[in-house]
Amino acid sequence: MEIRGLKIRELRKALDEKQVSVREITEEYLKRIKAYDDELECYITVTEDNALKQADEAQKKIDRGEATDLTGIPMAIKDNICTEGVLTTCSSKMLEDFIPPYNATVMERLDKEGIVMLGKVSLDEFAMGGSTQTSAFKKTKNPYDKNRVPGGSSGGSASAVSADLCLAALGSDTGGSIRQPSSFCGVTGLKPTYSRVSRYGLVAFASSLDQIGPIARDSHDCALILNHICGFDPHDGTSSKRDVPDFTAKIGKDIKGIKIALPKEFYAEGIDEEVRDSVLKAADMYKSMGAELVECSMPSLKYATAAYYLISSAEACSNLSRYDGIKYGHRSEIGSSYEELIKNSRREGFGDEVKRRILLGNYALSSGYYDAYYGKAMALKQLIRKEYNDIFAKCDAVLTPTAPTTAYRCNENISDPVKMYQADICTVTVNIAGLPAISTPCGYDGKGLPIGMSIIGKQFDEQTIIQIADSFEQGFERIMPTI
Amino acid sequence: MDLDMIKYLAELGKLEFTDEELKKASEDMTSIIKLMDTVKEIDVTYDPVLDNKNIYLNDLRIDEKSQSLETSKLLQNAKNQRNCFVVPKVVE
Repeated sequence: MEIRGLKIRELRKALDEKQVSVREITEEYLKRIKAYDDELECYITVTEDNALKQADEAQKKIDRGEATDLTGIPMAIKDNICTEGVLTTCSSKMLEDFIPPYNATVMERLDKEGIVMLGKVSLDEFAMGGSTQTSAFKKTKNPYDKNRVPGGSSGGSASAVSADLCLAALGSDTGGSIRQPSSFCGVTGLKPTYSRVSRYGLVAFASSLDQIGPIARDSHDCALILNHICGFDPHDGTSSKRDVPDFTAKIGKDIKGIKIALPKEFYAEGIDEEVRDSVLKAADMYKSMGAELVECSMPSLKYATAAYYLISSAEACSNLSRYDGIKYGHRSEIGSSYEELIKNSRREGFGDEVKRRILLGNYALSSGYYDAYYGKAMALKQLIRKEYNDIFAKCDAVLTPTAPTTAYRCNENISDPVKMYQADICTVTVNIAGLPAISTPCGYDGKGLPIGMSIIGKQFDEQTIIQIADSFEQGFERIMPTI
Repeated sequence: MDLDMIKYLAELGKLEFTDEELKKASEDMTSIIKLMDTVKEIDVTYDPVLDNKNIYLNDLRIDEKSQSLETSKLLQNAKNQRNCFVVPKVVE
């Protein structure tokens, strides 16, 4: 069976109609991983034996007539999501040989549906970055141009979906880490409302911002995955008790009358012209479909990147304090005292970017600086939320570019952390406000690199953004990478 | 950002740097803090009431016994263990 460009619904039909077995399709994906992953470097761990076992179990489920949407679907999992008995490195030397003794809640849920996990895919170390080049193990490449980054931090997930090294993947998003790599790799990624998906078993970066979400071929496939990973989890104190709707329910419904906001700051200086034109062209397409475009403003955007880095780093330095080399993680051979052991373990285990975030977080929280930095960032968080509330009082969704540029060259921004941070401008407000957003391709630049647009929704209104994204996708012709 | 401040922050974060790394960290942090300083340009004040009004302090789980992970599983990732986590001697 041809797996290039395959969607979950198409494979579901083929599996249910016995046109192909789960083992055959799993072997096809494993074959592609063997053929192309050496150059793309998506996978940190390929779980071949386990995948084939899961394939046989899924087949039995199908044969018994008990298949659900995801039974037998080959997926890749970002390597910061705990998988019992399977290496989970977070792309860090600190967790180079960490074998989780338990499953993340999302893995429990996906296993129950009978997915086939092909392996664990690369990310920026501890999900801190937008290029996947801070990974200590696999510096993933973009399938559209292997000299370019796949974005990040879920670069392994997005690149693997784009190159058909899996059918769909899970990523995590703290400041754009699902949406930006999806944009760079020409696939669709959804960051759910904060608290929709349990964070239990997601290695913590910034707990008030982190969310797990799907990356797939299109928004309909993302909705199918979302249907099975959401819902209350007593293991996550922030998990929402709201009912989980069918996220596919609005797909195909007319978008006539839907109000889409275009905050002017997202289209201002700093956004690449080709990117801006492409997203505005998509806006025109929505207008032609009967949607109403509403021009508006979000003045706080200017301060959003700084606010995001202050809040996320403050939380990161606290979360990363658990890595002491004693209970798990890298333990240094050097150090005769408790203090020395901890310091040496952290010096050897963490990479440069992680250390920078720890320094920044401690700076923002330290005495004499707290009010000026962390306090101010928290005030800005409230202002950003208010500005979104004001927009959503009049509109149903917000349309923005997902990233200011298309994928850049592998070594282009790596040595300049400030430039890297500023590139997150289009995505961070969504995490600060706890909103859902979906990125889907809307065009290609002059070099043939994908451009992504983001549709941001009201809290818990994933259904509408999926509907809006899908309505565009129906008339958009995707260009696959030539790999 | 001067080297003493970097050393102070490193101590807070239980990190250690060589002299060369300290110099590089100082340069990086100087430009990062310059970006962070943009938050000082706007006059806004954090309102703690706004953030806490939807937190239900009594929304606790039922107080009942549940299964914990086995000791062997909890110890499986410790590099130095003898049925407990082993640390360097802390008492003379």
